[in-house]
Amino acid sequence: MTLVAIHTEDLSKRYGATLALDSLNLTLDVGEVYGYLGPNGAGKTTTIRLLLGLHQPSGGRAELFGVDAWSDPVQAHRRVAYVPGEPFLWPSLTGAETLEFLARVHGRVDTTYRDELVERFELDTSKKVRALSKGNRQKVQLIGALATRADLLLLDEPTAGLDPLMEMVFRQCVQEAKQRGQSVFLSSHILSEVEALCDRVGILRQGRLVEEGTLAQLRHISAQTIDVTFEGRTPEIPALPGVHVHTVGPNALRFEVFGPVRPVIAALGEYPIATLTSREPSLEEIFMHLYDSGDGDDR
Amino acid sequence: MAMTASTITHDASSLQPLTTSRRRSPLTALVRRAFADARTRTIAFAYVFAAYGWLQAKGYHSAYPTLADRMAFARTFAGNDAIRLFYGYPYDVVTIGGYAAWRVGGTLALAAAAFGVLAAVRALRTEEEAGRAEIVLAGTVSRMIAFTSSMIAIALGVAILWAAELVGFLIGGLPFGGSAYLALATASVVVVFVGIGAVASQLASSRRTALALGIGAAALFWLLRVVSDIVGGAEWVRWVTPLGWAEELRPFAGPHPLILVLPAVATVPLLLVAARMSRTRDVGTGLVPTKDTARPSSRLLSSPTALALRRQRGVLAAWVLGIAAFAVVLGAISTSVSAAGISSKLQKEFAKFGSGSIVTPVGYLSFVFIVFIFAMCLFACSQMGFARQEEADQQLETLLAQPTSRYRWLGGRLLLAAVAVCFLAGLGGLVAWAGSASQGVAVSLPQLLEAGANCIPISLMVLGVAALIYSVLPRASSAISYSLVTVMFLWYLVGSLLGVPQWLVDLTPFRHIGLVPTQSFEVEAALVMVAVGVAAATAALVCFRRRDLLGY
Repeated sequence: MTLVAIHTEDLSKRYGATLALDSLNLTLDVGEVYGYLGPNGAGKTTTIRLLLGLHQPSGGRAELFGVDAWSDPVQAHRRVAYVPGEPFLWPSLTGAETLEFLARVHGRVDTTYRDELVERFELDTSKKVRALSKGNRQKVQLIGALATRADLLLLDEPTAGLDPLMEMVFRQCVQEAKQRGQSVFLSSHILSEVEALCDRVGILRQGRLVEEGTLAQLRHISAQTIDVTFEGRTPEIPALPGVHVHTVGPNALRFEVFGPVRPVIAALGEYPIATLTSREPSLEEIFMHLYDSGDGDDR
Repeated sequence: MAMTASTITHDASSLQPLTTSRRRSPLTALVRRAFADARTRTIAFAYVFAAYGWLQAKGYHSAYPTLADRMAFARTFAGNDAIRLFYGYPYDVVTIGGYAAWRVGGTLALAAAAFGVLAAVRALRTEEEAGRAEIVLAGTVSRMIAFTSSMIAIALGVAILWAAELVGFLIGGLPFGGSAYLALATASVVVVFVGIGAVASQLASSRRTALALGIGAAALFWLLRVVSDIVGGAEWVRWVTPLGWAEELRPFAGPHPLILVLPAVATVPLLLVAARMSRTRDVGTGLVPTKDTARPSSRLLSSPTALALRRQRGVLAAWVLGIAAFAVVLGAISTSVSAAGISSKLQKEFAKFGSGSIVTPVGYLSFVFIVFIFAMCLFACSQMGFARQEEADQQLETLLAQPTSRYRWLGGRLLLAAVAVCFLAGLGGLVAWAGSASQGVAVSLPQLLEAGANCIPISLMVLGVAALIYSVLPRASSAISYSLVTVMFLWYLVGSLLGVPQWLVDLTPFRHIGLVPTQSFEVEAALVMVAVGVAAATAALVCFRRRDLLGY
């Protein structure tokens, strides 16, 4: 059996009457970048706390590199670096002191890489944490985690508060990590970020993993869009099963195709077509589709 | 519900009429919020004020039933300079009222000062540091309204304290008028220190610094009162400290109500200055500039425990200074106790406390070391409170996501606290010896080091129990630990005077400490306490390993 970075079996967590996470089965291979999506309160942070052994599972188990997260957290954390969603650090320490402390507590750090990251993220490390803005505190945490070059990065909404330029630096860093063979578990709200970085995506909803797969696989659950303009007036197109047609202009139609595209193309062949563009659903469309079509009682 | 005038005004200024909103004045809402925030502290202090007032009146009544007893008491114990350190100047201790004024007024004035500073800093600086003040001020609330609402909420709290103290006296059998006046003397202290806390909150940019400024001012005023009470010719000093004004009000002993003008004259400018400062400075900052950059120092960064020590350097330095000042004063004034004419009856009463020979310098030192022991127990609670804060501020989550075990984190904290307890205990003994030796008191260094070491077993027990409470009930742990220690100590002080069965009095662990150096160190009790402490600490580690960390 090959070693996997993250493995959970029926991992569940109950807080009082609330079932925050319901039988999560998740496997993250070494070297994989996994996007973890879900609306507020879906259980993303709960999952990460269980993965880190900060909270005890109500049922099931979580393993990092084959080590149980709850029963042996210290061993499990040796190959892991974590960026929490809220940048809570020690207010009286400067950025440099925080990075030094985190490195010593973690036990491994690539100081050359750390200096490079400080440059790239344009962080003033002489400032005390209490004087840093939220985004800058987030940078301190990111640099601290990335500089460990840990085999697994657990990132909980790591770019909240970062400006677009720094967001790009972050993406580059994650891609470099992937190239080096590190695994990344990225919990995020920012769909474009997940789309750009992740090999696989899991979508969480009310504590349940409702969808999981590569982006290509996920695209099948949402419609493919075909935009067509005609020479002259829009013709009458007969109804096709699994296809929604919308009029978007005097001589333009949009087809939302659930299922194979061929019947649409075949039907269109008889008409004078000026332009035809086709595009796959974006992650945002998949996400919206999943949440709209649900029970609609998200917390 | 009926449309009020204010609803109509609001509708007119809105783009869309608010059909369901009931418009309240922001001032009322802010006052309610601030009052609710402070409720735990207000209730705790009110409880202590009521209980303490009642117990002192009751205890005096049963301990000194006849006038002759009271005269003897007045001549010997109350006339003692060294006793005045805690209770202030006794004007008339022959009546229950006068006795209560002396015993309660002096001590509760210190608690009142602490309450004033805590209440003001919590309502002003903490709100600002947490960013909540920004949310309020981003609305239609002016800074004046925000400040005023905090002060109104505190005023309500002060009124509750006043009523609680009054009720305590009334149940203890004191007349209404005098009791109300005595409680007013205490309340007047709160008000002045609210003013001091309000100004401190404008100067400092952090809650910790504001508290340090306010508590430091309280300590300074206390020292001034002590000087005025025990140094011949320095009586005038009493007029420059709010704690002295409370004494000069002389409840039950020829009252001077006109002196109430003094706290009012002091408080009004303090509040006006604070209000003005809060209106003219940037929100979120203090008027005293802070250094936001520093050259990195890698000292004390090697482990979570080292970092805890680094972050507490200032606090520990304050404890060292405070204990040193306290111990040197106690040592130095221990010679001023006189052995003259203490009745055998009184000897017996104090034997109930466990300090038969209070009138000798050594006996006096033994007696006051009890207060030092209490302070060290509070220190143990504060150490666990600091650990709890690291969890509440989510820093612990970052730490425990590293390859750091929970045992190592909490164990390190317990070890650090235990070492600090031992160090402070030794320091107290050493400095008390230096102070008494400077006045030629015949007490040896080993004797007072033993008195210092006498603090250690009970403090370690408190530390272990506080850790266990923290592990099991993290949110409420600080409140529970502090109250437990305070109740145990108060019970020790007054339980023996109430004539309740001995086993009830013996419930408090303070009863089982020998008053070193007069009495011998109670080895057996010490071993039991250390064993309880170690067992509780072990249980704490086990429980802490098994629970979820606090989330936000």
